[in-house]
Amino acid sequence: MSSGTYLEPADPTSHSAAERLQVAGLYSPSDAVLSVRDLNVRFNSENGVVHAVRGVDFDLMPGKTLGIVGESGSGKSVTSLAIMGLLPPTAEIAGSVRLLGKELLGLNDKAMCAYRGNDIAMVFQDPLSSLTPVFTVGAQITEALTIHNPTMSKQAKEARAVELLAMVGIPSPKDRLKAFPHEFSGGMRQRVMIAIAIANNPRVLIADEPTTALDVTIQAQVLEVLHTAQEETGAAVVMITHDLGVVAGIADDIMVMYAGRPVETGQVDDIYYDPRMPYTMGLLGAVPRVDVAEKTSLVPIEGIPPNLIYTPTGCSFAPRCPLVTDACRDGEPELLPAGGQPGHKAACIKSDALGSDADVLEIFSAPPVPVSRFDAIPRGERATVLELRDVRKHFPLTKGALLKRRIGTVKAVDGLSFDIREGECFSIVGESGSGKTTTLLEIMEFHKDQDGEVVIGGLSNKEATTGKARSAMRRELQMVFQDPTGALDPRFTVYEVLAEPLQNAGLDKQAIRKRIMELMKLVGLQPDHVNRFPNQFSGGQRQRVGIARALAVNPKLVVLDEPVSALDVSVQAGVINLLDQLRAELGLSYLMVAHDLSVVRHISNRVAVMYLGKIVEIGEVDRVFDNPRHPYTRALLSAIPVPDPQLERTRERIILQGDLPSPLDAPKGCNFATRCPVFAALPAAKQEKCLTLEPPLESVPASAAAQTLESGRVPPADQQFACFFPDGELAEDMLVVHETAEPHAP
Amino acid sequence: MTNLNAVDPAAVAQDAHLESADVIIGKSTIIFRRFMRNRTAVAGLLIFLGLTLFSFVGGYLTPWDKETIDPFNIAMPPSAEHYLGTSQAGIDLFAMTVEGTRISILIGLIVGLVSVLIAAVYGCTMAYFGGKVDKVMLFVLEALIMMPALLVVAVATSGGGDGLKKNLPSWLLLIIVLLVFSWMGTARLIRSLSMSLMQRDFVKAAQYMGVPPRRIVWRHLVPNIGSLLVLDITRGVTGAILAEVAFSFIGIGIKVPDVSLGVLIGGATSQVQTFPWMFWVPLTVMFLLTGSLAMMNDGLRDAFDPSSSSAGKAKKKNSVKEPAK
Amino acid sequence: MLRYLAKRGITYVFMIFLTTSAGYFLAVSSLKPALLEQERIPRPTPEQVANSMRLKGLDPDLSPWERYVEWLTGIVTRWDWGRSPNGAFVNAEFGDRVWISTRLFLASIILTLVIGVALGVYSAARQYKFQDRVITSYSYLAYIVPAPIAYFLVQLGAININETVGERIFFVTGISTPGMEQGWAQSLDMLAHYAVPTVAITLVGWGSYQIAQRQYLLDNVNADFVRTARAKGLTRNQAISRHALRVSFIPVAQSIAFTIPAIFAGGFFAEKIFAWPGVGSWSIDAISLQDVNAATATLAYGSVIFALGAILADFATTLVDPRVRVQ
Repeated sequence: MSSGTYLEPADPTSHSAAERLQVAGLYSPSDAVLSVRDLNVRFNSENGVVHAVRGVDFDLMPGKTLGIVGESGSGKSVTSLAIMGLLPPTAEIAGSVRLLGKELLGLNDKAMCAYRGNDIAMVFQDPLSSLTPVFTVGAQITEALTIHNPTMSKQAKEARAVELLAMVGIPSPKDRLKAFPHEFSGGMRQRVMIAIAIANNPRVLIADEPTTALDVTIQAQVLEVLHTAQEETGAAVVMITHDLGVVAGIADDIMVMYAGRPVETGQVDDIYYDPRMPYTMGLLGAVPRVDVAEKTSLVPIEGIPPNLIYTPTGCSFAPRCPLVTDACRDGEPELLPAGGQPGHKAACIKSDALGSDADVLEIFSAPPVPVSRFDAIPRGERATVLELRDVRKHFPLTKGALLKRRIGTVKAVDGLSFDIREGECFSIVGESGSGKTTTLLEIMEFHKDQDGEVVIGGLSNKEATTGKARSAMRRELQMVFQDPTGALDPRFTVYEVLAEPLQNAGLDKQAIRKRIMELMKLVGLQPDHVNRFPNQFSGGQRQRVGIARALAVNPKLVVLDEPVSALDVSVQAGVINLLDQLRAELGLSYLMVAHDLSVVRHISNRVAVMYLGKIVEIGEVDRVFDNPRHPYTRALLSAIPVPDPQLERTRERIILQGDLPSPLDAPKGCNFATRCPVFAALPAAKQEKCLTLEPPLESVPASAAAQTLESGRVPPADQQFACFFPDGELAEDMLVVHETAEPHAP
Repeated sequence: MTNLNAVDPAAVAQDAHLESADVIIGKSTIIFRRFMRNRTAVAGLLIFLGLTLFSFVGGYLTPWDKETIDPFNIAMPPSAEHYLGTSQAGIDLFAMTVEGTRISILIGLIVGLVSVLIAAVYGCTMAYFGGKVDKVMLFVLEALIMMPALLVVAVATSGGGDGLKKNLPSWLLLIIVLLVFSWMGTARLIRSLSMSLMQRDFVKAAQYMGVPPRRIVWRHLVPNIGSLLVLDITRGVTGAILAEVAFSFIGIGIKVPDVSLGVLIGGATSQVQTFPWMFWVPLTVMFLLTGSLAMMNDGLRDAFDPSSSSAGKAKKKNSVKEPAK
Repeated sequence: MLRYLAKRGITYVFMIFLTTSAGYFLAVSSLKPALLEQERIPRPTPEQVANSMRLKGLDPDLSPWERYVEWLTGIVTRWDWGRSPNGAFVNAEFGDRVWISTRLFLASIILTLVIGVALGVYSAARQYKFQDRVITSYSYLAYIVPAPIAYFLVQLGAININETVGERIFFVTGISTPGMEQGWAQSLDMLAHYAVPTVAITLVGWGSYQIAQRQYLLDNVNADFVRTARAKGLTRNQAISRHALRVSFIPVAQSIAFTIPAIFAGGFFAEKIFAWPGVGSWSIDAISLQDVNAATATLAYGSVIFALGAILADFATTLVDPRVRVQ
């Protein structure tokens, strides 16, 4: 099915690509709803012509789900926009896209409109910007109906809009029709987007990273809505994502894209359990697993994707591939059957040698798991590097024009206490709005007017009144930011970036130079790159510069604010490995905030789960993740998709209702009661307790702890949680299991 | 719209655009190179420099000066003796144009530079201190914006009996008044820009490293709003030249015997039908001056903005090249 | 919303009070009507001048502060803005002049906004095409011409047209021909007087709106929500005109705050050049006649116009942007 035409410059004038393919007899009558052949997209850019999509082929069968997986720049989004005819007119598109047997490529904007939103619809990535801010949600849904059903009556349209909103799970849909998008949360807006997309019962629904911008709990909700929508409409779905976990449970087929080309396609189980292309193997190995306790290093894929301005002369993955040989550089390998299963194809000349017995860690020479000298010392005997005692951060919320009335208090952080020992990685997890970032800021602020005590390296904020004491503290504690681009002054060279903390520490020029060279080596950057500007580095390299800057003054504790969430999967693994290695080598302690529980599980020793400014569960990471006691922790963990199709299909999932409530309406008793699956199933008498009393953070009873460990050895129970009924039944309607799909493998 | 208080919506749009599109580029040399690549901008720069040079050495090219009356040539068209003719009083128009251009450029440069300086100090102070200081300073700023500058200019330049006015030449007085009313828009912009910069992670990083505030402002804030400052200087110079011409034109700016382009243009309006050169010559000079500044401003904006249309040319060139590969 | 407007209103009243007071002090300390009186022939004695000034509430012997208190008391208690050196009451003249200025500018303001926004949309739709280049270049040109000179050039053009045709089609000065009869002829006369100033002010004014509207619309044509609208089945042009246009009005609506005062300020020049006896030319005259009270009154008027513009901008913004409504 693959074609060799992509190597030649497209020549749309003589023959259309579709014609050529027809001549070649490549069109077979099929019952596919969407059939894409040899799709090629080129853009003009400042530096030359970018060949963004190079020969994509696929067939989408009715009611099935195709997952397109790839990193940023792999051409997956461009493919979807090309199918929808939404690329700018300057893009040059060749090949064939057939929807229900009708050719879409070459149709003008007007002719395309008959299909868009009718037979084929799309859900976009960023729900915050994808709805027009000045129109009501109802108007935007009815518009989709009006365009394709001009004769529909106003009442009918409104009834349908209410029906759609109800279908995507928006409470009191009739009233919400009149709401504007800004009155909705991100998750709710994405539901509205789905409602718009399915308004006309499309045959094909394309979802482009529909959950990337959302919290895990909301992601689970939206994926569930998509699932419902697919069942209701019978649409075939194209699911575009960078997250192998998201598609594992819902896709029937997978297409892995790299550098604008599909490099491996097949049924979902074949791709996950028998990958035949080193890139796919690397991607699977680069993702940490939230459900696996055994610690192995992640698979780092070194290097960066190729620049698509230059036509590759060999396999485009060759520069990053650990198995590369000279043969790989001799012409791009075609997508050929691999692994023996029907439909499974890989574009690698070594695909036959890469059976399921191939060890991905060995192939990619993943570093050994680093061991810190502190790991052998019991936690209780290590020195404390950071301690928080009852830290609070309350913001007054005022309302009123001239005379400001205080209408409430936002308890962003509400009585937080924890400590971090030497050589330890402590993570805080929770949804956005749970107060985890505020906690970090409170620690970084470090002044004596704070509510609560922060002790850093034995120095309390209550005593740190002099500038000297504060600068001593600054040398103990440094920070790595989420967005590596924003954290580096674009006008500084890497040398200047790294020199700033050193100059501030009073080092002389000679010493600064020496230290910078050390740092560059330490974080795996080439020392001769010090004169470059941040924009000359890739995202992963920039984050390494950020890490180097944090380490410059030899701090004991590094605060990591979502250190890898802005990075691509393959790059992420390298940075995580680096952090792990630095912790071991330099004896560092980390305080990390992250929303990705898999990453947290991978590098943390201890974890705290926050909900509305309070810790609801805290303890050793494996204990908390393997045996979560608090219903919220259970819900969070169950919401994380795992890159394991069979497990995903049979896994029981807790879908929390609604969004994180505003901290303003924080209930009197247990904060979590409004969304709690256990609470919902409790008899009214017990519910009363949750509503009136605030559950304290208590240790797991020794007996229970002993039971959970089969070995019989009773360790000190390092797990505390704040719930009255940790063993309560879960409400039925918040549980979802998809057992429908049978495994594809025979 | 030659009101100093009026905030030019186009300029605001442009600044907002710059703000969002991350003006920040690697190095000033890149900006310089991009500027030099822009032919219009370079032409603007050359015209402006040429006019400045002309206004300073032009006086030596003619034996006449701006005060001497030539009783034999009154209201004469251009001739070999008087390159640009003479006025009704018999004064050499060339000499007056040279003098007027110099005064106009001086007013423009001084007001443009100093007002941006005031704006930078005021705006950064507001952003840095925040809170009550910010509130009070913002109130003062908005009150100043509300004052119709034109009336104040008129009062200041035409009042009687004030000692200050007698001792100061009218052009210096005009500079002072223009300065008082020309920095508010820029100050407000710098304030909001600095405030958003203060929120940027790299500033936070410096704070968390314990870098003293003064150094943060100097090393991180100022260079990152530098492009805005440069753009605002050229815009400020243009604005001041235009304001001078407008005020002098209706007789409330520079007063005779001081000469400026506005005075020359304004003085010639009544004879525009009979002695057209008296009107059109200074007007042309003014157009060259403001036009060249606008061309420079445009080129600077392109040079600062990485996504600007100057990339468009490269695009065409490359797409032509492509098939040859 | 009402509460919010009330709050803004109070802030502006306070600001107007401050600017007007500052203006009064500036005027009272630099304008000396007594000096002009002394140039009258026959030359009055200083006592006579002081007496006549005292009668009009312009006593030159009082300190600026004393005169300020007196002036302010007059306004607060009797809404009396004082008298001119020639004895005229500021209040009396004010009404007429405001009416004349308003008549002159109302049409110009509306035309400026409508034409500017319409051309902005038109040129954005034809980005980098010939029409766009012409229109946008014009707007940049308008930016580098001082308003009074532009008005003067339009006036010259009108005179030229009159001369070419050999008949007086346009009046380039004044507001009306005295002694016209009611009816058709009077309307035509009014039109002939209005045409040139209105055209002049509009020609100069629309440029900045065209540039702004063009920029805002271009910023929005590739917005995510336009893509969503297209994915529903709208053509690109439909999606832009139904979705992007409305959003791009928001910042333009906000900039109304600056248009109205800007046009009124431009009006000082326009009134001077087209010889309309409005507030603008009054202020200039007042200053040259060393008339403290009239000058201060026009300054107060300018501040009020600015405040009105700002409040109107708030209104316009709430009208087009639902996000502001929930305040």
